[in-house]
Amino acid sequence: MYAFSFHQPETLEEAKRLFGESDDPRYLSGGHTLLPSMKLRLATPSDLIELNAIESLKGISIEGDNVVVGAGTRHGDVAQSADVLAAIPALADLAGMIGDFQVRNRGTLGGSIANADPAADYPAAIVGLNATVKTDRREIAADDYFTDLFETALEEDEIVTAVSFPTPVRAAYMKFPNPASRYAIVGVFVAETAGGIRVAVTGAGASVFRVVEMEAALTVNFAPEAVADILIPDDDLNSDIHAANDYRAHLVTVMAKRAVEKALG
Amino acid sequence: MFVGTHNHGQGHETAFAQLVSERTGLDLDNIEVVFGDTRRVQRGLGTFGSRSAVVCGPAITLACERVIDKARNLAAHMLEAATSDIELKDGHFTVAGTDHRVAFSAVAKNAYSAGGFGEDGREPGLDETAFHDPQGFTFPFGAHIAEVEIDPATGVTQLISYTAVDDLGVEINPMIVEGQIHGGVVQGVGQALMERLCHDDTGQLVTGSFMDYTMPRAAALPLITSERIATRAQSNPLGAKGAGEAGTFAAPAAAGNAVMDALASAGVTHFDMPATPLRVWQALQAR
Ligand SMILES: Cc1cc2nc3c(=O)[nH]c(=O)nc-3n(C[C@H](O)[C@H](O)[C@H](O)COP(=O)(O)OP(=O)(O)OC[C@H]3O[C@@H](n4cnc5c(N)ncnc54)[C@H](O)[C@@H]3O)c2cc1C
Repeated sequence: MYAFSFHQPETLEEAKRLFGESDDPRYLSGGHTLLPSMKLRLATPSDLIELNAIESLKGISIEGDNVVVGAGTRHGDVAQSADVLAAIPALADLAGMIGDFQVRNRGTLGGSIANADPAADYPAAIVGLNATVKTDRREIAADDYFTDLFETALEEDEIVTAVSFPTPVRAAYMKFPNPASRYAIVGVFVAETAGGIRVAVTGAGASVFRVVEMEAALTVNFAPEAVADILIPDDDLNSDIHAANDYRAHLVTVMAKRAVEKALG
Repeated sequence: MFVGTHNHGQGHETAFAQLVSERTGLDLDNIEVVFGDTRRVQRGLGTFGSRSAVVCGPAITLACERVIDKARNLAAHMLEAATSDIELKDGHFTVAGTDHRVAFSAVAKNAYSAGGFGEDGREPGLDETAFHDPQGFTFPFGAHIAEVEIDPATGVTQLISYTAVDDLGVEINPMIVEGQIHGGVVQGVGQALMERLCHDDTGQLVTGSFMDYTMPRAAALPLITSERIATRAQSNPLGAKGAGEAGTFAAPAAAGNAVMDALASAGVTHFDMPATPLRVWQALQAR
């Protein structure tokens, strides 16, 4: 790891000012992605601007039909939040499947979705629930937020401040973890929302995506059989030593079916 | 005690100290086992082939007997009795049939104190070195049974139960032996079900970290049942047999065959380890 300057602002304004004044700055939240890549010298920022001291990024609140999770909230806190467990148990369930205890005690929602790892879990919930990503300057709809492999709609100095998750009628997440890292090889989030059925897949492609064919089938019949025979094309899916692309396509079907079963309780 | 074998988690500090404590009556806390330090240990070959207890153990007991003989001789001098009348009991040298006794530690002190070892030609000090050359190998044996369940939809193999019955000869410390069995079984199960080194087309290792190389974790394993029977080994005075690798030998075969048995019932005729989800699923697709 190379030398860098460290800043700990207490407000969003200060954080953005520091970002603007630095050569090659990066925001830092849980550090579970950024610090390992700095150790490997894949990232060599001149300045780290830590966001953990900014109070407005923390905490979970209920706003009408929405659960609003601050960007600085740790995965473990989401998994155990009484509010989340009551309103969207599938979201708590998903947060509790991320990595291991150490990762859940440090990693944050904001860090996860700013990083947009193709194998991260939260993207499935954000797209699956049609959540809204709130930043220091605007609100971004779920379907517009994740754009490509490690790519989001965020501008360079933009800070994710919270995510607003609408409470679904029912929802569930099924994850097929990478046996070594526990990241998602395939994760499927199925939800019956106010705006209809949504099926979001993470881990399988460059970025989270929806399976409209499954959504249509579940709209007609919200039952496991409805998706059991729907196989997505595997041409653009990820392929690695843990899962070839045809296996990933197959797992999308299996996980979708099991997620529907789980959502039905 | 300086030993030429190496301990890296097998519990030599405990088991080897027990061998000395059982023979000398000295408290375990007063026995230091030194290994792996080339500044202090003159020679050594390390640890391999499940041979530390089997090869080093008898050398330890031989050295112990020599030290005790020296100490007995000196104790006889201190107690003004014949060497043949001196018994070693509970860490004390006692004149048989009397309550005259002297502690091992007091004898040791005298052995290194000017004048303490008498004037009749007795060699000072208690140090002794012993070597042991095993006459043949030991043959631990056992039977291990693994039960697995395979989810055909995902290819995930779950180890449901694992029972190991081994004959490892005379066990110095059964609890440590059981730990060795558990560790060996887990290593073998890892080999059968998950561990794999992979290289890409350019020869680059792609399983270079634990983010990609799957190590067996506690959560992926059932409780392991280990039972033992003991037939004395004839090839060494302790009657001990190699224990460290017993689990690693048996587990790949037990777990691997369990997987094959399950796959055979679905029509698969050949399957090579490891049974990663992808490989199992592919085998089921190809049948
Ligand atoms: C061993 C291990 C296993 C893991 N397993 C999983 C898993 O199973 N599932 C999963 O989803 N994740 C997993 N993760 C990732 C982890 O959960 C974190 O979510 C992830 O590392 C990013 O969050 P962070 O808070 O640590 O971000 P950081 O590492 O601090 O930052 C990541 C990136 O986001 C930027 N950033 C941080 N906060 C903000 C913000 N508020 N606004 C804008 N940009 C920001 C940073 O500048 C940086 O570029 C794992 C990580 C490890 C180390």
